[in-house]
Amino acid sequence: MRTALVLVLLAALVGAPLVALARVAGERGWSAAFDTLTSLETGTAVRNTLVLAVVVTVLGCACGTAVALTTRDAGRWLRLALLLPVLVPEFVLGFGWSQAYGPSGFADDLLGVEVPGLLGPVGIVLVLTVHAVPLAYLAVAAGLAVRAEPDLERAARASGAGPFVVLQTVLLPLLRLPLLAAGVLVFVTTVNSFAIPQVLGGYPTMTTLVYADLNLSADPDAFGQLTTVALAMAALVLVVVGLADTVLGSSVVRTGTPGAVAGRSRRHWFLGAYTVFAIGLPMLVVLGVSITRGPGLAPVPANWTLANYVTAFAGPTWPALLRTLLLAVLAAAILTVLSGLVVSLRRPVLGTVLTLCFAVPGSALAVGTLIAYGRLLGTSAAIILVVYLAKLWAVAYRPVLAGVDRLGADLVPAARSSGARPFTAVRTVVLPPLSTALATAAGLVFVLASHELTMSSILYGPGSQTFAVVVLNQQQLGDVGASAALSVVLTAPLALLAVLLLRGARARTS
Amino acid sequence: MLGHGSAPVLSGLNLTLPPGRTLALLGPSGSGKTTLLHAIAGFVTPMSGSVLLGGRDVHGVPPERRAVGVVFQSCALWPHLTVLDTVAYPLRRAGASGGVARDQAAELLSRLKISSLAARKPAELSGGEQQRVALARALARRPDVFLFDEPTAHLDAHLRTVVLDEIARQRGEGGAAAVYATHDATEALAIADLVAVLHGGGLAQLGTPEEVYAAPVDEQVARLTGPVSVFDGALVRPDWACLGGPLTATVAEVRFRGPHTDYLLSTPRGCVLVRSAGPPEHEPGASVGWTLSRRVTLSPEVR
Repeated sequence: MRTALVLVLLAALVGAPLVALARVAGERGWSAAFDTLTSLETGTAVRNTLVLAVVVTVLGCACGTAVALTTRDAGRWLRLALLLPVLVPEFVLGFGWSQAYGPSGFADDLLGVEVPGLLGPVGIVLVLTVHAVPLAYLAVAAGLAVRAEPDLERAARASGAGPFVVLQTVLLPLLRLPLLAAGVLVFVTTVNSFAIPQVLGGYPTMTTLVYADLNLSADPDAFGQLTTVALAMAALVLVVVGLADTVLGSSVVRTGTPGAVAGRSRRHWFLGAYTVFAIGLPMLVVLGVSITRGPGLAPVPANWTLANYVTAFAGPTWPALLRTLLLAVLAAAILTVLSGLVVSLRRPVLGTVLTLCFAVPGSALAVGTLIAYGRLLGTSAAIILVVYLAKLWAVAYRPVLAGVDRLGADLVPAARSSGARPFTAVRTVVLPPLSTALATAAGLVFVLASHELTMSSILYGPGSQTFAVVVLNQQQLGDVGASAALSVVLTAPLALLAVLLLRGARARTS
Repeated sequence: MLGHGSAPVLSGLNLTLPPGRTLALLGPSGSGKTTLLHAIAGFVTPMSGSVLLGGRDVHGVPPERRAVGVVFQSCALWPHLTVLDTVAYPLRRAGASGGVARDQAAELLSRLKISSLAARKPAELSGGEQQRVALARALARRPDVFLFDEPTAHLDAHLRTVVLDEIARQRGEGGAAAVYATHDATEALAIADLVAVLHGGGLAQLGTPEEVYAAPVDEQVARLTGPVSVFDGALVRPDWACLGGPLTATVAEVRFRGPHTDYLLSTPRGCVLVRSAGPPEHEPGASVGWTLSRRVTLSPEVR
């Protein structure tokens, strides 16, 4: 019964949109699909997307692995700072970089220097890599914690191997699967990325092409072409993730005492400087621009004003903010419960299906959902909630699964043999130790739903804009001060929530 | 002084171990045994003081350039390498070619009578087999000092004996010193030439196994080095008393241990544990005579 419910939900949330997408794309025929994929505009976007995905995956995984290997004995604040590029919305990261290091940006005004080519492919690769490093870092660090127990490295050092030989002969072979997982995660995220290429511009990708044609043009033929592109993008990502997910899975139980293998790393200052450059300064510049009277003025107290915030919150901004918070809370609550349901079924194949749902590019999912449910739900906020549920289910599922995996298998039998009824047993001995995992699942969905732009920018209509869409529109209109003000509002409370969640998780763990 | 981060774990240590001798580090969990081994191996840097190997201060010398062979509690076998490649690993690092290293590793496995495991990976080995492979890897290093970090902690009683015998035999063939960390008094007393009892953040007593057993400096050391009763302000080992004799007592508890039986005797001056060979001969509640042949009086400041 419960399995059937989950399967029906998955079919409705992801299956129906993909089938609808395939049906519309198929109606045009194979030759039309081929023509679409090889046309100048679409072909360029497909090629650009693949180039970005491959380059960012290689750079992001290399940097993320280096960061993971050098921060095993780092303090919690440095590790948290390294995660910031994924905690702030992708749009704010791109906007912050353009304001800090772009033409007429903070560094240009102050020192006369800018990052060459920031508004183009070089800048997009750079900022997407900054965004990808924490993802790869998290995957590799988790692999290090589970697979590369400290004693394995100590044993190699005590057998005469230097640090580089240990990396080559012990760590990298052990980290093959986590590296594969990191690569797939970064690849999927980069293919899915919309805000950074859109804000920095000059290098059309498949997501920016879908956005441009769906929102700025009413050409029905363009819509048909894009269904082909979206389907191809979904197929590519699903094949990559599907193969990877079948390979991933085995683990080694960690033993040995934790801690550094041979002394404290002296490379932490470099990582600290990197976080300041990659995220600290751009965020400070966004804050500075948001409280400065006009572009080009120095962010000194004499030029401070709150006028940008007043301007930014005129019109649809307040309703959009409240709508976003409501959507995020609903998605978090529903998906946490559904994830608990899936985990209780103990069917790993469902986890693989959820991973595949997460991997479906947001643009493809949004277009498919529009075709499948557009007539029923129109452009209401409900259709946005549907894609959030489809896309983010795996995000909630993973922490809940990890939490349940850590529980002893005998907890419920012990409670039952102590006189507890089934529901009481779950309430008293399963839910309390799972509270951190459940809060993490809900928090992650809340943060990602609040930031989400790729899908909501395709699906919104009059009266259903999300906050991120309002911020994007403000930036496209060229109001830098108001965009900065909205970026601060979009980022600040969510970053705070993430910090609280991390602290709560640590307090409970300790 | 040794510690994790800024928190000291052990201080005031001054230990010297001649070549070819075995030092047991005996102490409860958290007493700093592993930290001390890691300091000798070079995995942690002492907060103050120095480590000398072969008379040379090795401060700042990385683990791979110290002549130590480590056997870890977790075995720490690399899951992607076969047994043969694992044992050949230190030989390769010492500069041997692949073929030579594998030949020497095969010879070592043969010496340890585990040649049949050569092609297996750690997941295909039992706990005892894993520990013997870990020992082979440490032997392949040909170190000046072996460091054993509770190598038998996860093994059952039979395998523990097998591995301990193996360690003693292989150690006897070399001339290297060994430091053996354990919380098991029986192991420490059986394997070591010298025993360092660690507790309270420092060295509580250093002596031969006979000395630390026969003359513990305080009750804590006495409890860490074997069974003991505190009777009338003195420490009494079960084998320092026997049944039969002028003193009278009532049997409070009887515990059959196989080769011998322990009796807990209740006397007007307190309880005392007495060991007697063979199966139980008295029931709880019986009146018995007993004799005390030896006692260690606690000085007033350590009582």
